[in-house]
Amino acid sequence: MTSHAATVDSTAQRPERGLGVYDKKVGMWVFLCSEVMFFTGLIGSYIILRFGASDVWPMPGEVLNVPVTAVNTFLLICSSVTMVKAFAAAEVGDLKGMRLYLLATAVIGAGFVGVQVFEYNQLIHHGFLPSSGLYGATFFTMTGFHGLHVTVGVICIAWVTAKAYRGGYTQEDHEGVEVIGLYWHFVDLVWIILFTVVYLI
Amino acid sequence: MATIVAEASGMPVLVVEHEMPFIRKYVFSTDHKVIGIQFLFFSLFFLLIGGLLAVLIRYQLGWPGKAIPGGGVLPESMAPQGIMLPEFYNSLVTMHGTFMVFFAIMPLLVGVYANYLIPLQIGAHDMAFPKLNMASFWISVPAGLMMMASFAVEGGAAGAGWTSYAPLSARPDLSGVSLGQQMWIVSLVVLGLGSILGAVNYVTTVINNRAPGMTWFRLPLATWALFISAILILLSMPVLSAAMIMLLFDQTIGTNFFLPAEGGQPLLWQHLFWFFGHPEVYILILPAMGFVSEIIANGSRKPIFGYHSMVFALIAIAFLGFLVWGHHMFQSGMNPALGMSFMISTLVISVPSAIKVFNWMGTLWEGNIQFHTPMLFAVGFVMLFVIGGLSGVYMASTPVDIYIHDTYFIVAHIHYVLLGGSLFAIFGAIYYWFPKMFGRMINDTAGKIHFFATFILFNLTFFPMHGLGMKGMMRRIYDPAQYEHLSEIQDTNTMVSIAAIALFGTGIYFLVLFFWSLFKGKKAPANPWNATTLEWQTPSPPRHGNWSELPVVYHGPYEYSHPDMDRDWLAQNERPDIVSPAHPELTDQVLAETGASEEPSPGTHTDGAG
Amino acid sequence: MLAGGAEAVAEAAVAAETEHQQPRYMAIWATLAVLTAIEVGVAFLGFSRSVTVLALLGMAVWKALLVAFYFMHLKYEPKALRIMVAAPLIPAALLVLVVLLEY
Repeated sequence: MTSHAATVDSTAQRPERGLGVYDKKVGMWVFLCSEVMFFTGLIGSYIILRFGASDVWPMPGEVLNVPVTAVNTFLLICSSVTMVKAFAAAEVGDLKGMRLYLLATAVIGAGFVGVQVFEYNQLIHHGFLPSSGLYGATFFTMTGFHGLHVTVGVICIAWVTAKAYRGGYTQEDHEGVEVIGLYWHFVDLVWIILFTVVYLI
Repeated sequence: MATIVAEASGMPVLVVEHEMPFIRKYVFSTDHKVIGIQFLFFSLFFLLIGGLLAVLIRYQLGWPGKAIPGGGVLPESMAPQGIMLPEFYNSLVTMHGTFMVFFAIMPLLVGVYANYLIPLQIGAHDMAFPKLNMASFWISVPAGLMMMASFAVEGGAAGAGWTSYAPLSARPDLSGVSLGQQMWIVSLVVLGLGSILGAVNYVTTVINNRAPGMTWFRLPLATWALFISAILILLSMPVLSAAMIMLLFDQTIGTNFFLPAEGGQPLLWQHLFWFFGHPEVYILILPAMGFVSEIIANGSRKPIFGYHSMVFALIAIAFLGFLVWGHHMFQSGMNPALGMSFMISTLVISVPSAIKVFNWMGTLWEGNIQFHTPMLFAVGFVMLFVIGGLSGVYMASTPVDIYIHDTYFIVAHIHYVLLGGSLFAIFGAIYYWFPKMFGRMINDTAGKIHFFATFILFNLTFFPMHGLGMKGMMRRIYDPAQYEHLSEIQDTNTMVSIAAIALFGTGIYFLVLFFWSLFKGKKAPANPWNATTLEWQTPSPPRHGNWSELPVVYHGPYEYSHPDMDRDWLAQNERPDIVSPAHPELTDQVLAETGASEEPSPGTHTDGAG
Repeated sequence: MLAGGAEAVAEAAVAAETEHQQPRYMAIWATLAVLTAIEVGVAFLGFSRSVTVLALLGMAVWKALLVAFYFMHLKYEPKALRIMVAAPLIPAALLVLVVLLEY
């Protein structure tokens, strides 16, 4: 572009291609990249702190309720399935199915948060607090911020569900359903990592 | 109210419906130009605050222990009888850095110009997510208010340095600051969210919303720099947020992430902070470099020398910027092997920066140089950034850094790159794009006075600090006179303080000039600088939605002194066949490739209605 | 707002329709459920520490990739998007690995 020859390049009458993916989807993926870095900050710190204190770290199951959380993990995975089925339904024009699956996702998601709150309650009653050493600090911070993300997700899915019931999405335009789905799957993905690293290792 | 609808051709077209009420148009606006201007007023305010804090710091250093003139208005907790307390001094240095980095320079570079320029330079109607854009600005406002309010709480504003190292920052019993430290964190986490949401917009818009013909390597360097800086924000800011949250928990709910008592790791704070902190300083310089490239190409009436290498240098600096954070920690007690690797990566990063400097010089070489105010600031940037960069090479070397770490040598470096560098580029950008933003010119003579006064006083203030640092003057010190080796050089400190206060005066002069020009400046034409990029091919200021039909881009961004042109510039959206009858064969080629008609396309430089 | 990629979206939609068959998702779901159960088992079956950690991390990564590629459709998106999404993993890994060197 810096040559002094006559710079005539082929012109295009159509917009530039970009990533080949619609704006909202690009935007959500870009946002999720930043979320990856946020959770890296938290989970990475956990890994580092634990590495430096591994001799005093409790064994899996000693403090935390693994069976209940395993079931909760399964619940969250189910909600990811209902979410993707909502999107699949929208793609083929089954708007009724889309609405039902969205509703199911919101309900199961809320259930996950409920179980987490219950778990926190139990732990705190047994004297396990954020101030209970590095184990407590890292546990509550990581799962707490994940739970916060899940809660925000549930609220957004509820909003999308309400819009769906008002007829806000069609087979041609259901971008909102897909992008909230991306956020929700991401939250599930983070939990898959967290469950393994915090509860099982 | 305007909506963008799809035409049958697939091209987006703007349809304007009805007038909006004042509050939707100027307060809760989703127009990227209005939001950019909102950020401008926001950040100029905080630039003023940051400058005031600097004056107070320099007053104490110039005349240690003396009562500040008019200091009687300050409360007993800060400055009894006008003589500032050491605790207040700690807050001053902390808050000066905080306001300048987060609330002045960063929003001036990114909040203002990413918002204002990107859609215009790429040929889009607005950002990809206009409502999200509005949210990003309005999230930043309470963050700024909270930071200001923290001065008024018990214990005062944060006082652990802008880097807020633990354990000092986590322990009110050590720092003397409790609520203020917490408000500092909350404010920055909120601001960080605003920045991240803004960055999502900038990245998506540049990737997806470029006008036809605006390929990646036809993007102006300002857009490239802002795009890459947005990526840096996305990847580094969340790590800071995570670290800040952990620090806040240490301060409030009894966790011990960074406190050694329960096995916490103070060094972890430093690693997390600087993992963010180093890309942050590149966020603070890359857009500045982008603006300087625009202005220097324009002012030299030549294409930027080495456009491709400029882009690759931006990318290289951004990438390498993630590999050097440990150079802030040479003295921290970290693993010594890391000292070696960070030294090497830091020395390497000077290479792409140097490439950019040589390319600016190559652009200036044999150019038809226009010495307008933006050009003066851009060239001033290059000179002062080089000095700042050279001091950086000293600091990159671990054995040298042992002596100069945490001394005024570092303070000199910081200010050469952030003030001599970023702020000079910001001034240049303000003068350059003011006509586009406000439809008025800033008087060039008045601007030149601003430049020369600032340049001279800046060097008088900060160059001596290299010497002060080498003589052993440490940073953040309340009373240098208590040490013999520093009381000997007190005269230098006093002189620096006088220059600094005068420098603040030039800032006031600039603010007066800025506001005066808003109302009384000469009316500006669409393209006062005869510039080639797309924003100059719109009226000053551009209409809501920028263009009724998107421009079509035919060539790169710096077609100055094109051999086929009588005029010394060719706009990006000007069809060459219309303007260069010398090459009719190219006309046929263009027509064949695009199926376009012989009629001139809309949106050419003469079409002020867009 | 009809922005860049309009035609590409149309192309992708055609391709996507053929991919969204119900059995696919249920198969992934079953895999995820089974892997979760195996993980819990492995954690408490008393293998050596390094075997346990490696197996668990491996399974977690496998589950994460299944969610990313199938539920989030990364497998069917343009390659450029996959690269963009993978990019943050590099500075993320760098941060953790370098700081681990402190020990």
